[in-house]
Amino acid sequence: MYRKIIRRSLSNMRDSYLIYILACSFAIGIFGILESMGDNPSLHFALHMWDSFISDVTSIMSGLFAFCAFVYMIYVGGFFIKQQRNEFLTFEKLGMQRWVIVMISFLQTIIVQALAWLIGMVLMLIFQKFMGMLLFYLMRVRFNFEMHVSLTNLWFLIQVFLVSTLILSIVNAIKTIRILQKKKRRIIIKTRWWLRIPAGIFGFVLLLSAQFCTAMLFKDIRMLGYSSKPLTEVFYIMTADIFGTYLVYFGFLPFVLNILERVHSLSYSGVNIFSFKYMKDRLFQNISILWFVTELSALALALLTFCYFGYQAVHQNYNNAYPFELAANKDTVRVIKDELKKTDSKVKGTYKTPVKINLVSYYSKNTQSYIRQPMTFMSYSDYMSLPKRMHKGNAKINSHQYLKIDYSSSTFRYDSEPDEHNIQVKNSPMIQTARTGSSFPYGSSMHFGPMMIVPDKYYTKMPAEVEDTFYGWDFKKGDRLSRGQLKRLNSYRDAYFMKVDFKSSLSKSSIEVMKKEPHKYEDTYTQAGFLRQGSIKKRFKQGGGFYLFIVALFSVALLVALGSVLTLRVLLRDDYQSRQLRTLQKIGVEESEIKGIIRRENTLTFVIPIIFALVQSYAAIAMFDVGRHISKNIILIYGGYVILYGLFGIISYQVSWRSVKQKFSL
Amino acid sequence: MQIAVKNISKDFGKKRSAVHAIKDISLEVEHGEFLGIMGPSGAGKTTLLNMISTNERPDHGQIIIDGLDLTQLHDREQAKYRRNKMGFIYQSFELLDSLNVKENVILPLALNRSNKKLIEERFDYMMNLLNIEGLSHRAVDELSLGQRQIVAAARALINRPEILFADEPTGSLDSKSATILLNYMQMINQKEKTTILMATHDSFTASYCSRVVFIKDGVVFSEVINPGNRDKFFEQIINMQRTIGGGDYFNVSKNY
Ligand SMILES: Nc1ncnc2c1ncn2[C@@H]1O[C@H](COP(=O)(O)OP(=O)(O)OP(=O)(O)O)[C@@H](O)[C@H]1O
Ligand SMILES: [Mg+2]
Repeated sequence: MYRKIIRRSLSNMRDSYLIYILACSFAIGIFGILESMGDNPSLHFALHMWDSFISDVTSIMSGLFAFCAFVYMIYVGGFFIKQQRNEFLTFEKLGMQRWVIVMISFLQTIIVQALAWLIGMVLMLIFQKFMGMLLFYLMRVRFNFEMHVSLTNLWFLIQVFLVSTLILSIVNAIKTIRILQKKKRRIIIKTRWWLRIPAGIFGFVLLLSAQFCTAMLFKDIRMLGYSSKPLTEVFYIMTADIFGTYLVYFGFLPFVLNILERVHSLSYSGVNIFSFKYMKDRLFQNISILWFVTELSALALALLTFCYFGYQAVHQNYNNAYPFELAANKDTVRVIKDELKKTDSKVKGTYKTPVKINLVSYYSKNTQSYIRQPMTFMSYSDYMSLPKRMHKGNAKINSHQYLKIDYSSSTFRYDSEPDEHNIQVKNSPMIQTARTGSSFPYGSSMHFGPMMIVPDKYYTKMPAEVEDTFYGWDFKKGDRLSRGQLKRLNSYRDAYFMKVDFKSSLSKSSIEVMKKEPHKYEDTYTQAGFLRQGSIKKRFKQGGGFYLFIVALFSVALLVALGSVLTLRVLLRDDYQSRQLRTLQKIGVEESEIKGIIRRENTLTFVIPIIFALVQSYAAIAMFDVGRHISKNIILIYGGYVILYGLFGIISYQVSWRSVKQKFSL
Repeated sequence: MQIAVKNISKDFGKKRSAVHAIKDISLEVEHGEFLGIMGPSGAGKTTLLNMISTNERPDHGQIIIDGLDLTQLHDREQAKYRRNKMGFIYQSFELLDSLNVKENVILPLALNRSNKKLIEERFDYMMNLLNIEGLSHRAVDELSLGQRQIVAAARALINRPEILFADEPTGSLDSKSATILLNYMQMINQKEKTTILMATHDSFTASYCSRVVFIKDGVVFSEVINPGNRDKFFEQIINMQRTIGGGDYFNVSKNY
């Protein structure tokens, strides 16, 4: 008897259950993969230089993932119980005992969960290798990822399954009890226009003001260092967005639909007479879910933005520090060349630039003090003849302009520093205005302090305290220097030392060059002998790959969760709602028109949240994308998200239409 | 002749447990005829009406209306045909819960994108006629069964269909409302030459028809033609029902 009832209700909602089970098993599969990846031997072997970092991160991530998935299951599992409300109530009317009904819902949950776990585990087994290979690929490790699930892992997964299923089943059983106690039939939604209209308009104003504030943030974010204004703005934008969106959903959208409905020339034409009311009805039901999805999408987009710019910043820093795979100066170039000859490295490009080192003094706005220091000068045409990546991050200059390259004061603000003025140079004309940048040709650690790009004429005329030449190499597949060679090169790390003797004026001050390391470092600057990317490059690429792996995994999971929630919401119509569509068909509404209603409903449910989310995540761009127009990549990232999301919309539409059509043939 | 039904049959369900709802029925209906269809519960009355009105497709046979074989049409064209020419009063009313009474009644006109003035005019006329002006702005799920039935009737009649299908239109009505509705149906039948097909259990209701077809177990059992005298016709119908068996005596005592 139970078996029959459970089987019936499972097969009645099989489309919905299928989506739910697939979403769950996806989550379970990912969870299992992350969990088992941590102690995979080939991972340990291939990535020994990361120690336990990878497995720590994966296990933390899998924990976080499991928690989110569990919340999702509790939340969405409730939909199904609610859907069966009428059925349960009828059972009770027919004299079935309460505990039997509760038992039915309990068993049903167990069956569904067990199925989801079964599929999830299979997915884990199948895709573990694939995911591992993907991780290795992204981390650029050439290594075979062996499939491996340890017994402890398996036992742990089984424990999680047992505990979570028990909790879920109990939760659903409790939900059933609550349904049986509160027998009220269809809850009539109170419209309460006196509350909704002002609330909706207030929400609309909030959203507008948040947008306005975002526009201001684009400018104000530069003051982050010394003013609390941008932070206040960010806080305001977040609050206004979150509450504003809810209020707009709560009041404004129904209000708009209501007005449309009142305009009889519009609503009394064709199937609108039904669809406006129907949409309103559905909207009322789904307000909190739409809101939830909107905010989570906005969060996902903001996270992606954050990750993108974070990655950009790290990448930029890395590129500023190591633009060449190998760099040297005139003292070390010969030794390096000799060592390179012994390896089988393939040189892709060699560069060589003469530089002059001279003393400068200027007023620094950042530190609010006068600064005197040596500075490295390079001529404009030499600068421009270097590979493009060296000057991409700096302000653009023409052959008459000056460019001062200095360490950036913040990670995210690499090219928005204002121009600098009045820089005095020893025995040379003062530089009135210099543009700024932070991308050092030959790398920031190749030498001390800032660098100045000057017009060719200025360069040839200027005197030098020290003259030097920088060399740089690019290779195909690395420099291939062996450990022994590097050991030998170690003694060439410092080329020379410059002791500066500052006097009252610049022209009296001078630099003394020393070959030996001085005992006292006061006013002494070091010129590096060579700079090598080597293992740092590898580490950087691997770290980037791992980061990409985790971020991608999480955004896809979030997308699946959000998409499936919306799809289920669209799919799980109340009985009377799907009956109405059938009735429409009976009185002669064409199928294509009913399909149109479903399409409109789907579009509304999917498009509203993504639009609001996009509008909100604009603020995230404002926070990080300082002083730039929105970059192409961020548009690509957003576009990708929207496309995947749209895919869910389309699937949901198809499934939804299918389930309605099924009822037509009854 | 407006409607010709030729040897249609319809099964429900899978092979072994199949129900032969309609076995083999042929029927002809003249333009402007008021045809009653009677028979015990489960005889196939609703199924027959559904097939003639293109809501369901027969397994075999042809349904020809105005020389057009409807079974050959696409779903889409069928829907169009249904909407433009036919009106329905369903046994289960089929009102839309989310719309109020007024919106339910004007639905067929709105679907045809009639202009607003016409809609209001027809609506007022219809509500007046059926004595239900008071219900205009009520929600459907607050109505009594009888009220729902009469609203469903108003909806079916508002766009003056050429063919009216009425499945048990008076089943839930008190005798006064039933009489009003039946008189109106008779009136449009006579004045506007609306063809009416009405399924019913009730002999009193059936006595408004010009002809009554009796079906049983999916085949036409016999038919009775109105001799022009309602009392006599009523008598004949009751006799025929006794012959068939399964006629309902309750309805007789209630309505007469
Ligand atoms: N959708 C369906 N699926 C399966 N069987 C059906 C379906 N619709 C009708 N039937 C069966 O077909 C037969 C005829 O049903 P129908 O509804 O036409 O009877 P009816 O004459 O209208 O009865 P009533 O007087 O109770 O309205 C019945 O045996 C019924 O069980
Ligand atoms: Mg019937």
